[in-house]
Amino acid sequence: ALGLYFPRKEYLENVYIDEPAGTPLLHIHALKDSREEGAHFHLCQNRIISRARSHENNWFQIKENTGLLYLSKSLDREDFNMLSVGNWMPLSKVMLYVFLSSHPFQEKECDSATRTAVFLSLINATAPACSSLTARQLCFTEMDLSFHIKENKPPGTFHQLQLPSVHHLCQNLSISYKLLAAEGVPFRYNESNTSVRVTQHLDREERERYELIAKCTVREGLREMQVEVPFLVNVLDEDDSPPFLPNGTDSADAVVEFNRKEGTVLSTLTVYDADTTPIYPLESSRRKYTGTIITDDPWISEMFRVEHIFDEIHFSPNGSQVRGTRHEYKLVLNKSISVTEHRSFQLDVLVNDTEFQGPERSVMLHFNVSILPVSIQFSNITYQFTVNRNAERFAQIGKICIENCMKFRGVNITYKLLSPNASCYPVSILQGREDKYGSLYVNDSSALRRPECKEIQYTVQATDKQSRKHTKTLLTVVLEGTLLKKEEDCPDSCAISKHRAECEECGGLGVLTGRCQWRQGSGKGITTNYSTCTPSIKTCPDGICDVVEGRDPAVCPQDCTSGNIIGGHGKGIGNLGIKSGHGICYCFPRQNCYCEKDDVKEQLCDDVCKTVI
Amino acid sequence: LAGPASPPGLAPPGWRVPVDCVRANELCAGEPGCSSRYRTLRQCLAGRDRNTMLANKECQAAREVLQGSALYDCRCKRGMRKELQCLQIYWSIHLGLAEGEEFYEASPYEPATSRLSDIFRLASIFSGMDPATTSRSNQCLDAAKACNLNDNCKRLRSGYISTCSRELSAAEPCSRRKCHKALRQFFDRVPSEFSFRLLFCSCKDPACAERRRQTIVPSCSYEDKERPNCLDLRDACRADHLCRSRLADFHTNCQATFQSPTSCPGDNFQACLGSYAGLIGFDITPNYVDASTTSITISPWCSCKGSGNMEEECEKFLRDFTENPCLRNAIQAFGNGTDVSVAP
Repeated sequence: ALGLYFPRKEYLENVYIDEPAGTPLLHIHALKDSREEGAHFHLCQNRIISRARSHENNWFQIKENTGLLYLSKSLDREDFNMLSVGNWMPLSKVMLYVFLSSHPFQEKECDSATRTAVFLSLINATAPACSSLTARQLCFTEMDLSFHIKENKPPGTFHQLQLPSVHHLCQNLSISYKLLAAEGVPFRYNESNTSVRVTQHLDREERERYELIAKCTVREGLREMQVEVPFLVNVLDEDDSPPFLPNGTDSADAVVEFNRKEGTVLSTLTVYDADTTPIYPLESSRRKYTGTIITDDPWISEMFRVEHIFDEIHFSPNGSQVRGTRHEYKLVLNKSISVTEHRSFQLDVLVNDTEFQGPERSVMLHFNVSILPVSIQFSNITYQFTVNRNAERFAQIGKICIENCMKFRGVNITYKLLSPNASCYPVSILQGREDKYGSLYVNDSSALRRPECKEIQYTVQATDKQSRKHTKTLLTVVLEGTLLKKEEDCPDSCAISKHRAECEECGGLGVLTGRCQWRQGSGKGITTNYSTCTPSIKTCPDGICDVVEGRDPAVCPQDCTSGNIIGGHGKGIGNLGIKSGHGICYCFPRQNCYCEKDDVKEQLCDDVCKTVI
Repeated sequence: LAGPASPPGLAPPGWRVPVDCVRANELCAGEPGCSSRYRTLRQCLAGRDRNTMLANKECQAAREVLQGSALYDCRCKRGMRKELQCLQIYWSIHLGLAEGEEFYEASPYEPATSRLSDIFRLASIFSGMDPATTSRSNQCLDAAKACNLNDNCKRLRSGYISTCSRELSAAEPCSRRKCHKALRQFFDRVPSEFSFRLLFCSCKDPACAERRRQTIVPSCSYEDKERPNCLDLRDACRADHLCRSRLADFHTNCQATFQSPTSCPGDNFQACLGSYAGLIGFDITPNYVDASTTSITISPWCSCKGSGNMEEECEKFLRDFTENPCLRNAIQAFGNGTDVSVAP
């Protein structure tokens, strides 16, 4: 019985009050899996569902062999009121189920049988006179003429154009139909009983949609009216195509070098299938099309996994477009791989179209995997930095980075300074949580000022967290410049200064040469290029609250503030800092920031003003 | 107001205002017969297999007794207190009947009974302008101004705008969940004379249409990295009582029909626009797809790609947004300040 199915998802017809018993309502058809099958229709749970209620069905019956649904008892006003209780829409709809079986019905089959829903619109009026109906109403119901037919199934009748209720009611009208179709479509219209038949088995991979036109002619005496509506047939897919490889490509290289992080996609291979694969529901489609790593090496199955994604693509077999599927199998690192690992091998993935019934249901994909070791070492040079003696605490001197460090992913390198044996120790190293480099900055500015400190030698060590491999290099810090006299009344943060003059004559936390720097903005509206006073234009404001700036809110509140910003502005990522501002932005660390236009350029009171006062 | 006055042609004679489901539940709890049957029925419906449930004698008996109780006709109101609880009670009874069978589910909400003309009257009092004569100005801008002059509208609008445009990190441009919640608050609590004007203003130039498209902050509330399949989105929505109810309400009030000149059920534009606005702030949030001034195209953030054998059904679902003459007529009528004349 599983092979039988309904060519429509649901059926719809109108029922009027007081239509006599015996009035035919609609014809239901079934299509078959094999020619021998017969179709039997039945109302299993003999109930009608209206709004929230279910009622005993006393009015509707179906002919078991023909699928004709008819009124077995007239529906009077009282019945109508009962069935439309709780409904406020102009149309009361009731629903009943029609079940389908390949042999005469036995009640116990009802649970497993295929069913469809029939919706009946109850019209609060007696059946209209035939003369009052439009041609559209005489010929077709409000429902679209749209059907689905499974591919690879035997031919059969799937629709009858004539409306049984109209035919019954308006017997003196002549209503005839025609099916307009292009040459060679596999559908035939039978004029004697107005039925439509599919004449051969269909192949969705050849064509998945047929658009015909149903034409209806109504003759009433000398008057003739015509209506045309679209008549659509969709071909339903089944899994009847094996997977295949585009251009025969079944292998790809997968190289692991600097990027060794868990989750990295190393390589992708593609498999096509002419069948459709619904992304809805996603998980069941994934299960139907599997990709398995074939290996008995536990290390490989631990370190690698295959991810499967698929999407719809179009094939054009003979002019018409049909949908197919592109499956992508991605080789993914399941764990971060150690920098010392070095091997190469071929990794095979078996792709299996589990629902395809045939010998070529699977293909083998090959990934040529090479895992290269990476060395943890500094480039051949030694680092040398010069630091001005007037630099303040948190001044950023430079970055320390091993060879290729910015390319690394999934490799955790930590940097540290091995303390020199001298008493001069002005600089330190800091590293952000995600940073691949170490930032060298002034930690003790008093050591810069001491005359005995001139040139300091450090050893920098970089260590890989996972393998504990480490490397060292020398770092020389040269102090230069003469000490400037400190201005009185200068704030400790550059960001407080609102004007260029006061900015450039003061120092503050983080300055490199003893003086803050002024950034002159473009001055147009709210811009990322706003005017502001900063310890170093290179690092502040750059939209990133880096690890050194994060140590003290007075260094660069423009990048790091989480407090209020008053005036036109846009906040930075994660609500930190001022991404864009209006005019000049200045900040009181640990308090508010202000962005405002500096309009008061001329003196507040000129000579004329003074005389008036 | 003593109960909504039913507009002619909308409610069949004899239709009475149903009690809300929270109240119906209280009434039922007061009667021992009713409350025990209701418990039984809920247990029957909790299981997966509805067919077995329908056949079960005890379940049938429970249902038949309950059909006489107020629970079977109860409805909920948009934005009522305990709305979610009300809808849970509603679906606890309705789910067992036609779940999954019906493409269009009936709305659990009371029908909207006011008309667009009521809104126009109020709106012109607020703005001091006749909406019909403002066609040359930027209606969407006027709507924003009108909202800012009203404390409630201004507060809730700036509430959702700031929530929806707050950047969390480079990977996460905003909290979609919080944005949706703020949008729901706005559309539930702000009277429609303000919210509809923002959402359905009519436009003559692209700047205005872009402002209209931006009303719900689509970068956060609407767009996503990928476009899911519409049926998947519908399933996700139906798994949530609130979203399911709003979708059913949209289908009830905006489903195009040949049987009325406006294509809308009962020619009720207000009901369609109201249930459209009720979808905003859920997974199925609809919006204008572009800033076109000539053609209005609405869609949720989904496509029918990858529908397999369900493509026909998916297209049908999507078309109720993209090619719906009722919805389009209702939006245009609102923008033009016209309504269908209600027969006396």
